[in-house]
Amino acid sequence: MTRPTRTLQTVHDVPLDLEVITAALSTRFSVVTSPVKPVRRARLDTFDHRLRAAGLTLQHQSYRDGDVLVLGDGETTLSQPLGKVEWPALADALPAGRLRELTAPVTGIRALLAMPQEFRRLRRLDLLNEDGKTVARVEVDEPGSPTAGPAQLTVRTLRGYEDQAQRAARLLSGAGLRPLRRGSDGDHDSPPEPTKADRHASATLLLAMGLEGGLATMRMNLPGLLDDVDTEFLHDFRVAVRRTRSTLKLGRSILPQAVSERWEPPFKGLGDLTTPVRDLDVYELDLPTMAGWLVAAGPADLEPFSAHLRTRRATAREPLVRELRSPGFRRLLTQWGDELDGLADASYGPNSKALSAGLWAQRSISRAYRRVVRGGAAITSDSPATDLHALRKRCKELRYAIEVCAPVVANGPRKHALAHLKQLQDVLGRFQDCQVQSTALHGFAEAMMADGTPASALLAMGELIAHLDAEQARARRQFDGAFARFSGRPTRQAMDKLGGTRR
Amino acid sequence: MKVYATYNIKGGVGKTTTAVNLAYLSAREGRRTLLWDLDPQGAATYLFRVRPRVKGGAHALVTRHRPIEDAIKATDYDNLDLLPADFSYRNMDLDLDDTKKPIRRLAQLLKEVSDDYDVIFLDCPPSVSLVSENVLHAADTLLIPLIPATLSMRTLEQLTQFVADSAGRKPELVAFFSMADRRKRLHRDVIAAAPPRGARISTTVIPALSIIEQMAEHRAPVPVFAATSRAAQCYEQLWADVRTS
Repeated sequence: MTRPTRTLQTVHDVPLDLEVITAALSTRFSVVTSPVKPVRRARLDTFDHRLRAAGLTLQHQSYRDGDVLVLGDGETTLSQPLGKVEWPALADALPAGRLRELTAPVTGIRALLAMPQEFRRLRRLDLLNEDGKTVARVEVDEPGSPTAGPAQLTVRTLRGYEDQAQRAARLLSGAGLRPLRRGSDGDHDSPPEPTKADRHASATLLLAMGLEGGLATMRMNLPGLLDDVDTEFLHDFRVAVRRTRSTLKLGRSILPQAVSERWEPPFKGLGDLTTPVRDLDVYELDLPTMAGWLVAAGPADLEPFSAHLRTRRATAREPLVRELRSPGFRRLLTQWGDELDGLADASYGPNSKALSAGLWAQRSISRAYRRVVRGGAAITSDSPATDLHALRKRCKELRYAIEVCAPVVANGPRKHALAHLKQLQDVLGRFQDCQVQSTALHGFAEAMMADGTPASALLAMGELIAHLDAEQARARRQFDGAFARFSGRPTRQAMDKLGGTRR
Repeated sequence: MKVYATYNIKGGVGKTTTAVNLAYLSAREGRRTLLWDLDPQGAATYLFRVRPRVKGGAHALVTRHRPIEDAIKATDYDNLDLLPADFSYRNMDLDLDDTKKPIRRLAQLLKEVSDDYDVIFLDCPPSVSLVSENVLHAADTLLIPLIPATLSMRTLEQLTQFVADSAGRKPELVAFFSMADRRKRLHRDVIAAAPPRGARISTTVIPALSIIEQMAEHRAPVPVFAATSRAAQCYEQLWADVRTS
């Protein structure tokens, strides 16, 4: 089993001289050199770099005699033969075994994507002691094409022989090799904090920055959405659309009226267009959890429901994909980008009436926070579900206000405020999701009954509806406590630091 | 973590060769595998070219004066580690007897490395002793190599009874014929006979082949130096049979 490693490289990226390396190692070990193995190597990760964030690297290595997956955590590596897999693919498509067990929980519902391939030439040096036992290994990794990265050597420690690997590393250092610069491969960067902006800059500039971020997210996620790589491309695309709509609404007081009137309707239309597929995605993603709720029925009874969802989803994707591939949609994004450029340019000009970003952030967060508190306080035990839904929307608006204003508010108070808000959103979210899902399940069941679905499936769906109704009632009971916490002093103090309670 | 033990009261029946080859095959499939050579003769240790030396000896391991992890050595094969034998293991019975729960001590020691390994093989010395009682408590599956002979079947019956009578958790028993020579009528007859009650005999038979004896010369598992040999195929078949049991 491989243990902690030491990776070395030549000074100034000069090519490796294997003879020099072998001669250095031969002073203490018998060196057995394996033949060169050409390899095509592609790094795998999810679109949002979940493996990298978890400190893992996953590579698909293709050799003449087969393919291998190699998972590393910076100290140890684990490899496993790989059959035929087409990327992108979910971790479930990996061969059963420990590598999949370590990878799948990290990648979750996101697909693994292959980065561009690199051609490399690998060679292994086994370092043997006088008993002919391998006591350390050196992996020589050289570029196989002019565009590939520089050569490097990795000394692998074998359990119980740590001192021998140290000795090998010392010999290689003596031969002129140096430890690899940490982070030179960009592996260990932390997630970025929001870009900071000047509080005294114009509020329009702050809005334009937020809207540009949304446009960039839509563009980034569009290819994966169209290719149906995984469900999160559509989810992230929708979040960006929703943020755009919310930001436009927040900015009505400072954006030119023509901008609001021109752009609010198409983004509402875009949100509506993506809703049916997302709703169906949520059911498919929740199916394993739902199967766990069943008492009388078994998970297999839900298979007709799952098949029904897949068929409906395929049908629902057709108009979505058609619209998003259309020249009209491309034009929409281009013109929206031009509009944002214009807004940003205008915000730099001399305008004595321009509101500062800091003041606008304060007012926007304050208004949104007060709306949530007012809305929540008005809810009684007799309030209809629509009132809770309306409050959920207000919570989302507050969340987006805090996020759009992130460049001009302090990170610490912002994170606190969001954490307090999230607790209330979770309860409201569960309440609404249960109601929507329960209603939709009735609709699905009727459609499936018309298609001649077996009674066992419909009975299983009946169990799901009963569970959802009970869960919704539970969320409703939890609401009062959640709202009391949100409207209490700690949240008020967190909002106060963001300017959220000032009138 | 799954624990297999190769065990038989008789010596020279193929316990070590089985443990070495199956452990290698387990590791080759990507399972993190440890082989603990419990036999003071250290044959498995020798086959992996590891020095038969454990600091502090069996006493230090059994009494936990030295952590078991410190004694583990990597083999030349990915995913396969070895806990080598030491000549002091000849006194392991006495060392175990000095501990609080003498028949559960090996199981307790294995727990210390349960996060590091998916599969553990115990290669046991040929005896009925405190060590073998420990093995019964620690193993999920007891792999019993049998030379196809009437006395071997009697030994299997005794062993089956011994396990049935032992207190607490009982391992699954999987016997298989080893060193079989189909040219011998007795071997053929014994293989064809029904197994004793309570024991499962694998349909895989490991023949007596010189390539298996050559393991000591190559100091490597059979699939390493004779990947396509009949012996390698038999061990692969046995592993396929055992790991799904």
